[in-house]
Amino acid sequence: MTSSNVPAVRRRTVLASGSLLGAAGAVSATAGLDPAASAAPAAHRVFQHGVASGDPLPGAVVLWTRVTPTRGATPGSGVGPRTTVAWEVATDAGFRRIVRSGSVVTTAARDHTVKLDATGLKPATWYFYRFKAAGQTSRVGRTRTAPALDAELEGLRLGFTSCANWQAGYFSAYRGLAKRDDLQLIVHLGDYFYEYGPGQYGNGRNDVDIRPHVPDHEVLSLADYRQRHAQYKTDPDLQALHAKYPWIITWDDHEVANDQWSGGAENHQPATEGDWGRRRARAHRAYDEWMPVRMNGTARLGDGDRLYRRFRFGQLAEISMLDLRSYRSEQVSSPGPDTGKVDDPSRTITGAEQMAWLRESLASTEVQWKIIGNPVMIAPVTFAALPQAVSTQLHDALGVVPTDGIPYNVDQWDGYTADRKTVFAQLADGQTRDVVFITGDIHSGWAADLPADTSLYPAVGDSLAVEFVGASVTSNNLKDITGTPPRTTSVAVETAIKAANRHIKYLDFDSHGFCVLDVTPERTQCDWYVIGDRATKGSPSTWSVSYQTLAGSNAVSDAAGPVTA
Amino acid sequence: MCTESRRPEGAESPFEAGAREIRAGRRTVVAGAAAAAAGLVFSTDAVAGAATSGGRAVAKPSTRTRVYVLVIDGCRPAEISPLLTPNLHALKSGGLNLPRARSLPIMETIPNHVMMMSGVRPDRTGVPANSVYDRAEKVVRDLDRPTDLKAVTVIERLRKAGFRTGTVLSKDYLYGIFGTRAGQRWEPAPLLPITNHAPDLFTMQAALAMLQDYDPHLMFVNLGDIDRFGHADLTGTTLQVARRLALADTDVQVGRFVQAVKDAGHWDDAVVCVLADHSMDWSLPNRFVSLSPVFAADPLLAGNVVIADNGGADLCYWTGPAAQRDAAVQRMIALATPVDGVLAAYDRRDLSLRLGANAGEVVVYCHAGWRFSDPSSTSNPIPGNHGHPATAPIPFFLGGGHRRVPKGRASVRQAFTFDVAAIVADAFGMSTIQYEGRSHLA
Repeated sequence: MTSSNVPAVRRRTVLASGSLLGAAGAVSATAGLDPAASAAPAAHRVFQHGVASGDPLPGAVVLWTRVTPTRGATPGSGVGPRTTVAWEVATDAGFRRIVRSGSVVTTAARDHTVKLDATGLKPATWYFYRFKAAGQTSRVGRTRTAPALDAELEGLRLGFTSCANWQAGYFSAYRGLAKRDDLQLIVHLGDYFYEYGPGQYGNGRNDVDIRPHVPDHEVLSLADYRQRHAQYKTDPDLQALHAKYPWIITWDDHEVANDQWSGGAENHQPATEGDWGRRRARAHRAYDEWMPVRMNGTARLGDGDRLYRRFRFGQLAEISMLDLRSYRSEQVSSPGPDTGKVDDPSRTITGAEQMAWLRESLASTEVQWKIIGNPVMIAPVTFAALPQAVSTQLHDALGVVPTDGIPYNVDQWDGYTADRKTVFAQLADGQTRDVVFITGDIHSGWAADLPADTSLYPAVGDSLAVEFVGASVTSNNLKDITGTPPRTTSVAVETAIKAANRHIKYLDFDSHGFCVLDVTPERTQCDWYVIGDRATKGSPSTWSVSYQTLAGSNAVSDAAGPVTA
Repeated sequence: MCTESRRPEGAESPFEAGAREIRAGRRTVVAGAAAAAAGLVFSTDAVAGAATSGGRAVAKPSTRTRVYVLVIDGCRPAEISPLLTPNLHALKSGGLNLPRARSLPIMETIPNHVMMMSGVRPDRTGVPANSVYDRAEKVVRDLDRPTDLKAVTVIERLRKAGFRTGTVLSKDYLYGIFGTRAGQRWEPAPLLPITNHAPDLFTMQAALAMLQDYDPHLMFVNLGDIDRFGHADLTGTTLQVARRLALADTDVQVGRFVQAVKDAGHWDDAVVCVLADHSMDWSLPNRFVSLSPVFAADPLLAGNVVIADNGGADLCYWTGPAAQRDAAVQRMIALATPVDGVLAAYDRRDLSLRLGANAGEVVVYCHAGWRFSDPSSTSNPIPGNHGHPATAPIPFFLGGGHRRVPKGRASVRQAFTFDVAAIVADAFGMSTIQYEGRSHLA
């Protein structure tokens, strides 16, 4: 989600041709995984975009890198020689105990990306991996396989994050996560990158570009999407976090275009930008090339773009990652004559197949905690009781609240209430409990009960599940857009929203950062960490607040403090 | 449904049958000092009673282990909290919590109490629900007779091995079905009209007296207030006022019991197994499903189906020609499935159900917030019900100072009501291989 206040006139910025490589040169060290130690001293660096792993299974994990075999083989260029890339997986960082190895050939046809499924690994095991090509060796990555399906885990700890806008600042949130040694994986809930060109969506109300996007325009072509992916993967903090942990990722809208739905997007004009389906296919192709994910269940390219999928962590937890963009109906206008259609059962945010799949996830009795990787908020949020002045301010700031007080954000599950009813009915029917939605998209921190009946909640407090929403890495929040200091104007708005929505226990409109989710048989706890100034490199992150849900309670409660290693 | 007992017209209640046995001399009233002081009645088999002294069994195994199974009837997992139920919460947080615990179909009182003590599913116990259609007697009735239970309970195994066993069961049909299996049983009184259960205050008084006078190795206690007040709570869909009061009071009774165990010097050897038999759900007055008229309107089914209403589950019995049975099953499923409020309809022979032939041909569950009312729309007016999947999650935890009770832990393991028998047997060093459930002791 972004501000709806996107300038109509795009500011063009000419970037120096060497900027990409210059940014790549800023690769930072990860504790114990020093890239400098393995990087060749040659002027031309073959491995400029780091390494990554993802989608851990008990015996397999996806490994990823990108090679630049010649100086001209830049991302999106479509040129460069066929290149053989060797890969190794070891149980030690020194690679004395290599357990799996092989080689793959990559070409310009796939933008010289490398993605493979390393199989035959042991469950619940840390591994180290690296790539070799053209006489050079990549930095070392670390990854971890999932536990055996029947493992009686005592804990699972992960970081989750979303909404990283390159132009809005530096990815200190990623740095904060990468500094931790107590996590087992990272979950990214979407808006991994933004499609805008320079000047279109940056830092604050004036859209200042702390660092401009490449290419210097809104991405449309396959080459554009490849270049944008490549630019993000030169960020040292992002590289460090990819190298440190396996990731489980889904997309939201900006991986293609703002407010996308199955047949278009707010930020797509067919008259000038061409066919939507073709644009989306190009974006998905680049995503498949550049991200350590199994699309359609495999690491192969071009065999489909289904991204919703499940990951099991013994008997303790299952993470179900949703795709809430590819199959959804068009958003209703907000406000507009068709706002009543939010309840139309023919409209969907998941699509029928994904809904059936999600219901399977929720009905599972094989695991205790059902964690739903949820790109947009599912907790109902009504603004009907807000004073007009407050709702107007929110509308101006976030573009989510119609000024006439219509009580929903139509880009979230609030705009697709029939699907939400289906999910909530599934929960109420007792097929499952201990369900936790972890969510991105809205650039703010929330903890909320999911009420069985919103109208009765203030009296009964009957909750079906909980939702923890993480703040953005850099994308604008309320204070950024209003241009007010932290904890000033937002406090009144937060208070008013919580008063009108008693199931919302925590709300922070002012911070950027990340979350740590700690799952045990007793409870699942979420710790919110916030960073300092996003426009400053290396801003520190500090603990802000913690909430938990006790097993069987289906409700949010206070937690004493953050979990520690 | 379990608020109103179903038995053939003119049939005596379980408690009346017990009293008759005592009058006939087939059971002996035993009274220790505590029981006598409280005016409580415990009974034992006449033969066993003659061979006891002060109610104590002759055989006295040397173990100091004690297992107390406390069933908080109808409690929901989220209802155990530091503020509302501090004593239960202390047991849960201090021992081993089993947060994935579930009741088993049909999520009713009698079958799940039976599963707790037998360790096996209803196709082996013969007890799939509270209420079934008795084909021999051609009547819908509660399974409240000792002979209804076909499996050997852990109570009987322990007793046969010389351990002292006792039942303190607040509901008349539980008292009835477990019959004389325990060495001592409380003759529950006073029973409240309509609900046919003894209030927790009196149930706990009996448990404490049995603890003091008889000191059973295994005591099986049912505290029925939460369930009973849940059924009757007209504010169930909103404030749950009566139920919350009952929760608070039941917690006080549990606190008394824990203190008594400590005072008796048993805490360090005790396994206190606390669980619910099922959860609870509430429906608004107009949220009911009545399948009888649906079936009556069908040419094949009309006059050939009997329904045993179990609140959140209807058990449907084909009474027509055997040759049409399979067709009737398909027809019942097809007709029931689209009815508003119906969650799902299953062929009872579905292997996962494990309900046995006593459960009829078709099992129909309702959605959360609904109830069944059969045979007529007025048959089940009560707001609180269970039996459907919405009422499967239960609290289940092990407390006590016994060395094999994990301390301050939660387990990710699945747990079910039928695990109790394995826990009990395991605590006393007996084989658990005959059980489908498993022990959760360390």
